[in-house]
Amino acid sequence: MMSSGTSTETSTFSPWHFFTLAALVGATIGVLFIEQTSLAGLILLSLTIGAGALVGLGLYRTLRPLTDSALIEVTEMVGDRTRAAVEREKTLVLRSIKELEFDRAMGKVSESDFSEMSSRLRARAINLMKQLDIPTPSHRDLIEKELDFRLSDLKAASSSEERNEQVLGIDVDAPGDDTFSKGVCAECGTSNGPDAHFCKRCGEKIIASVVTGKR
Amino acid sequence: MASLGSFILLLAFVVCTYAAVISVVGARRRSTSLTESGVGAFYLVTALMTLASTIIIHAFVTEDYSIRYVDNYSDSAQPLFYKLTSYWGGLDGSIMFWVFLLSVFGAISVRLNRERQRELIPYVVAVISVVMMFFLFLMIVHKNPFATYLTQTPVDGRGLNPLLQNFYMAIHPPSLYTGFVGMTIPFAFGMAALITGYVDDSWLRAVRRWTMMSWLFLSLGLTLGMVWAYEELGWGGWWGWDPVENAGLLPWFTSTAFLHSVMVQERRSMLRVWNLSLVILTFFLTIFGTFMTRSGVVQSVHAFGEDTQLAWMFIVFMVILLLVSFGLLIYRLPLLRARNELESWASREAAFLVNNWILLFSAFFVLFATMFPTLSEAVTGERLTVGPPFFNKWMLPIGLALLLLTGVAPLLAWKKSTLSNLRYQFAWPTLLGMITAVVIYALGFRVWVSGICFAFCAFVLGTLGQEFVRGARVRQGATGTDIMTALVGLVSNSRRRYGGYIIHAGVVLMFLGFAGAGYKLEEQVLLKPGQELEIGRFVVRYDALRQSNDDQKQMLTAYMTVFEEGEFAGEMYPARWFFHKHETEPTTEVAIRRSLSEDLYITLAGYELSDQTASFQITVNPLVNWIWLGFAVVALGTGIALLPESTFAFAAAKIPAGAVTTRMLVIAMMVTGLCVTFTRAEQAAEPQRVIVVRSPLERELQRSIICMCGTCGRKLLNECICATASSMRGEIGELLDQGKTKDDVIQYFVAKHGSQEPLAMPIDEGFNRLAWFFPYFVGISGALGVGMVTFRWSRKAGESVPPPEETDPQFETRLDDELRNLD
Repeated sequence: MMSSGTSTETSTFSPWHFFTLAALVGATIGVLFIEQTSLAGLILLSLTIGAGALVGLGLYRTLRPLTDSALIEVTEMVGDRTRAAVEREKTLVLRSIKELEFDRAMGKVSESDFSEMSSRLRARAINLMKQLDIPTPSHRDLIEKELDFRLSDLKAASSSEERNEQVLGIDVDAPGDDTFSKGVCAECGTSNGPDAHFCKRCGEKIIASVVTGKR
Repeated sequence: MASLGSFILLLAFVVCTYAAVISVVGARRRSTSLTESGVGAFYLVTALMTLASTIIIHAFVTEDYSIRYVDNYSDSAQPLFYKLTSYWGGLDGSIMFWVFLLSVFGAISVRLNRERQRELIPYVVAVISVVMMFFLFLMIVHKNPFATYLTQTPVDGRGLNPLLQNFYMAIHPPSLYTGFVGMTIPFAFGMAALITGYVDDSWLRAVRRWTMMSWLFLSLGLTLGMVWAYEELGWGGWWGWDPVENAGLLPWFTSTAFLHSVMVQERRSMLRVWNLSLVILTFFLTIFGTFMTRSGVVQSVHAFGEDTQLAWMFIVFMVILLLVSFGLLIYRLPLLRARNELESWASREAAFLVNNWILLFSAFFVLFATMFPTLSEAVTGERLTVGPPFFNKWMLPIGLALLLLTGVAPLLAWKKSTLSNLRYQFAWPTLLGMITAVVIYALGFRVWVSGICFAFCAFVLGTLGQEFVRGARVRQGATGTDIMTALVGLVSNSRRRYGGYIIHAGVVLMFLGFAGAGYKLEEQVLLKPGQELEIGRFVVRYDALRQSNDDQKQMLTAYMTVFEEGEFAGEMYPARWFFHKHETEPTTEVAIRRSLSEDLYITLAGYELSDQTASFQITVNPLVNWIWLGFAVVALGTGIALLPESTFAFAAAKIPAGAVTTRMLVIAMMVTGLCVTFTRAEQAAEPQRVIVVRSPLERELQRSIICMCGTCGRKLLNECICATASSMRGEIGELLDQGKTKDDVIQYFVAKHGSQEPLAMPIDEGFNRLAWFFPYFVGISGALGVGMVTFRWSRKAGESVPPPEETDPQFETRLDDELRNLD
């Protein structure tokens, strides 16, 4: 459903529960009080009311990001995300190598073409493997990092929306703090997440970035 | 309820605007809360469209005839199933259904890609929203399905067109729409990639599955349309080059081209501009197809009727669409330089280029030929017809070339094939093709197009078989299992490649069916009860004509007995149904006796109740069932290619594939059901054999002149079963009896109708010469374009490739380990 993975409150009651309940109650009332009784009509009436509840949920989903400044996508952990993307790319490259070897075995690539293409792909795969070898910060590190951030935040007594997002790794350029300039790529100038090791656009290594969470 | 519906459409329009604006603003300001709100608004549109859909279906089911749309397309006697499908039975509802599907697909694609394609998503939302805004705008200002009668509410509806009350017709439009609408998603991602400048391959990865799935549904829609035409229209064929059919075929060509050229981009980083152009073109053609069928600019069996206001809205939208999308493409050209070059014509890349060229040529040719009558009317004021003979003249060789390429391309190597390579790869398939050609010639099948087609089919099957066997051998050598396990492992390991091969095998089966049409037999005949007709291996006896009724309709059924090779083979019941409220347009209920080798196909064309004489169109359609069977194989192959590599697409990919196969299973069961022979009937005494005499000239003329009744969809005279066609056939017969030549007869019809409209192909003179010249022009200029691009690429080939940097031996071994563990 649309609202999954969005609730940050401790309560387990999330918005879609409310709308499902509303739909059920609405449909029950509708079915009880309508005059016509054809089965298909009743089912469609219930579906219509259900769709109405869906509209309510959509409305909620539209308006909440505007009012709720602490909007956080819990599923987004930058460390994991980049890692997953690199893993995926590595798998793709490995598959390409496999396919190439298969093509050679089928007699479809000449020997010289094979060695050229293969060495290119292998170099890329090894490059990716090296990236993956750099350990990701553990959860503990991340928590410490976040704590540090919140504390410094309190001190600075400036609680801006962007910063909260920055802590959890959503790419936003926030000027002023030197932490944020770390992610900027020296090659192409793209801004990356604060703990990125490589530029997401050109793949260049980001020199300024520090791996561990502690400062 | 109706005013609520109108209000919801209005609201959806407003929310769409909001989603488009807020997403772009959010993306530019890099504000997550704004883009998130945009995504939320996008979901809200989906919810609103769902609500609007349930409201209109509710109105259909509860028979709320105060809504015009409900009144026009349903009545109370209609079965529930057709009440539900009436939703997309008319123009207004079909537009709404379109928006509904688009909102659902858009929401799913945004949901699936929101993390992986973070930068693209706001623009994807914006692009899809703008497209939806256009269609919502159409509905709000012009074609509101919730419009009500101002004064009197009718007691009962007028009923859905009886032709549409057919199972295939009920599921054909949603399938076609799914294909059409699905093509918007690749377009939106392509546009987003262009806007953001992230034009690497990641957007392709996001849309590949969507394109494949949409392609599958488009193919399914086209096939269902063929089945419907075959079973319901009763003219003995399955494809008439009708503008509406062509409208579905156009994006099919370009999306097929896209699915192929994507591989070149993935493998060799070439054709990036081309792929974006194909995505834009495909989307444009889906809109254009909609325009063609909705605006009445071309005449067709199932166009929705003329509507100039709608036509103008579409034209404005299409012009803006083309300007903006190709403008963006040109703006981003510097980012899209190819990184590799073509090294040899004997390579897979080159084969893909040729494939793309042929497919694009087909698209342009069909587009041109479909639009030519409109063009000609605008320029010269003369209405004419571009009928099946004209299309076939071009599409037959094109289809054969494409089929041949299907067999050749998999045998070629990427980059460059050497001579020994070619010999090793081509020996067996070529041999197989040649043997088939000789055998067919020796057996005396002398229709050359079909003969070549059979030989090519054998060649392609040889190629595919060789690919599977050799692949399995290689894998067997690598894994040490038995050959069957190796084969399964092979397919499951590179699903896209072998899924693709299976699709090709399906296409070959379909081509078998197409080639069978070359051996088609047909007769129109007037029979009295007890008379019989011989056609091919069959003898058909007409026994009686009976009349019966049910709630919805009156049925007139002819009882016929069929003998095959002298043996009793079963009874057949061709009929005509007269739906109440639509008495003037009786439906034709064809009787088909199916088998894998041929269909015996009988249509009740006319009748005289008083003396029980009836006229029939009797056709023997060889191999026609292979087309449907071929499609089942295509669907299977697509299903395999779509099987998920990562878990996210699991649900999205598996359901349609399964659904299709079950559908085919249902069709297969129905086929077998129909094949079941009935109990033996009483022999009538001494039947009288009727022999139809038609000279070759008469047959030829019947194939080059179309029926002018205006409602049957411009069928050729030898196929049409309406009364007009029958009297026109009579005219031809009389003229020939008077000793007139072919030209005299043609002149007679041109003079009679005041234009070349009755001719299936325009005469090659004056302005019409353009029609004959244009395909050559497109073909040659396309070839030149391909040649030039290749030449430019090849010139770069001199540059040397930088040697790969030195690598760590430790990493090399690790890489080898990982490669071994990949399976």
